[in-house]
Amino acid sequence: MVQILLAAALVVVAAAGVAAAVQLARQRRLTAELRDQNAALAAGVELRDKELRHLAGVRLPELMESLHNPGMRVAGPLHDLTRKAPAFGQSLQTVMDLFAGSAERVRERADQSAKSTLRAMMRAVQSLANEQQLAISTMQERHDDPDVLDGLLRIDHMNAQLGRRAQATAVLCGSWPGQQRSASSMTDVVRGATSRIRDYLRVNLEGPVNVAVTARAVEPVVLTLAELLDNAARHSRPDTNVEVNFRTAHNGVAITIDDAGVAMDAEELQRAAELLSGEASVDVHRLGDPPRVGFAVAGVLAARYGFTVSVDSRSPYGGVRAVVFVPDELLTEVADDPRARPAASNGGGERARAADAADVPSTRHGLPKRSRVAVADRAAEPEEPDAADPASWAEPVRPPRETAAGLGAWQRGTRSGRAGTPAAGTPVPPPGVEGKDLRP
Amino acid sequence: MSRRNERALVRPHVVTGGRAHPSRNVFDLVTLVISAGDLPRTGLSPEKLRIVELCRGGALSVVEIAGHLSLPVGVTKVLLSDLVDSGHLATRAPAQAAPTSRTRLLQEVLDGLRASL
Repeated sequence: MVQILLAAALVVVAAAGVAAAVQLARQRRLTAELRDQNAALAAGVELRDKELRHLAGVRLPELMESLHNPGMRVAGPLHDLTRKAPAFGQSLQTVMDLFAGSAERVRERADQSAKSTLRAMMRAVQSLANEQQLAISTMQERHDDPDVLDGLLRIDHMNAQLGRRAQATAVLCGSWPGQQRSASSMTDVVRGATSRIRDYLRVNLEGPVNVAVTARAVEPVVLTLAELLDNAARHSRPDTNVEVNFRTAHNGVAITIDDAGVAMDAEELQRAAELLSGEASVDVHRLGDPPRVGFAVAGVLAARYGFTVSVDSRSPYGGVRAVVFVPDELLTEVADDPRARPAASNGGGERARAADAADVPSTRHGLPKRSRVAVADRAAEPEEPDAADPASWAEPVRPPRETAAGLGAWQRGTRSGRAGTPAAGTPVPPPGVEGKDLRP
Repeated sequence: MSRRNERALVRPHVVTGGRAHPSRNVFDLVTLVISAGDLPRTGLSPEKLRIVELCRGGALSVVEIAGHLSLPVGVTKVLLSDLVDSGHLATRAPAQAAPTSRTRLLQEVLDGLRASL
């Protein structure tokens, strides 16, 4: 009996032991699993910690910087987030995108408001400069004293530069160049640009070219050339010349500007090409101090008016060669300048007299025949000589027979007017009224 | 005339190369200028070419030339004196006034007036 009891107890103990061992093994396995899980979670938390620190400390500042400096690369996440924590990676990307978007919007808004303020200010400066130029021109006409003229020329020069600066800034801020002009010869366009830069005496213009720029394009081309000439003169030694040449091509005219200064390096060339293409929008906050507006202005104007500007070739003098290509659409014929004709007094007088004699009918014996001149014929007669033309001062402005015809017509008109008046009492227009429009 | 109101594209300081003092002081408003000989015209600025062209037909006064070029008279004088220096132009003094002495003339006028009273 005791034995049986002992055996039973042994069995129970053994079973308990087995159960305990099994339990222990399971515990151990569970513990290991938990420890692994714990470690994985800790790693995950650490990864997120690190990524967040990286985001705040490196990626966002870099992103902000890259908005001002498009060439810069922004660092990516430290770990392969798409594999390790896809959802977290996605969230981080969303944060980055939102940040970039709002920073961009803020920048755009600031840029717009800065531009519109500048534009308004420059408009005021521009109109003042224009008024001042008119005042200077009037004084130049009025004062004959070389000393006064000397001062006036200097003021005129400074005013021209002032006007150019204001105009360039306004163009950068999206304004139009303003200033309506008539079509001008290419030579005048280049010399007009030369008048607006500081070192105008160093610009050397070679060879005339027989084309003119259409009225619409005169001011933009002048402004572009002025900026390029100023750049060329500024970046070369003061004792060197800036050479301007014309090349006629089959579909336009190229104006080359060569300076003997320092060439641009690859990075500067790339930046210049970018600005000159006119595609990149100009950011007024990034023009630098002193602001470098030349290429930006040239690019904006070229894109807007359809000519091209390039600076990628080297000048034979070692510096930069800027080429402005004006296509045929912006070119026109040189207007025949009436002032180019000889206008000396005696020659002109004789011509006028000869023309007068030509249309007077003569008798069989060659003597001039008197004839009445009908009023209607007046229109067919050659245009009255320009009063400003001194050639006409030598001759009486109106030939006597014309005066006589005018008086005759007046009298006839008065008579017919009186005859046509219905009855006394109705207001009669004064006789001078009908006569007035018949008078030349 | 409309050119006067329009701002000239080429400013006078470029036309004269910044000079305001003519190299010779022989011009007044009515000095007559005539072209002298057929010198080559290469190297002349457009304004100078135009002056030479204008004077080809005969004598012109300084003020007329200034009017034709729409340039201030002072600026025109600088250009003209350059052209006289280079031999393209020559000046001709205006006709001399009659050499009657002033007081005698005035005396005669006075006498005539008295006689008519």
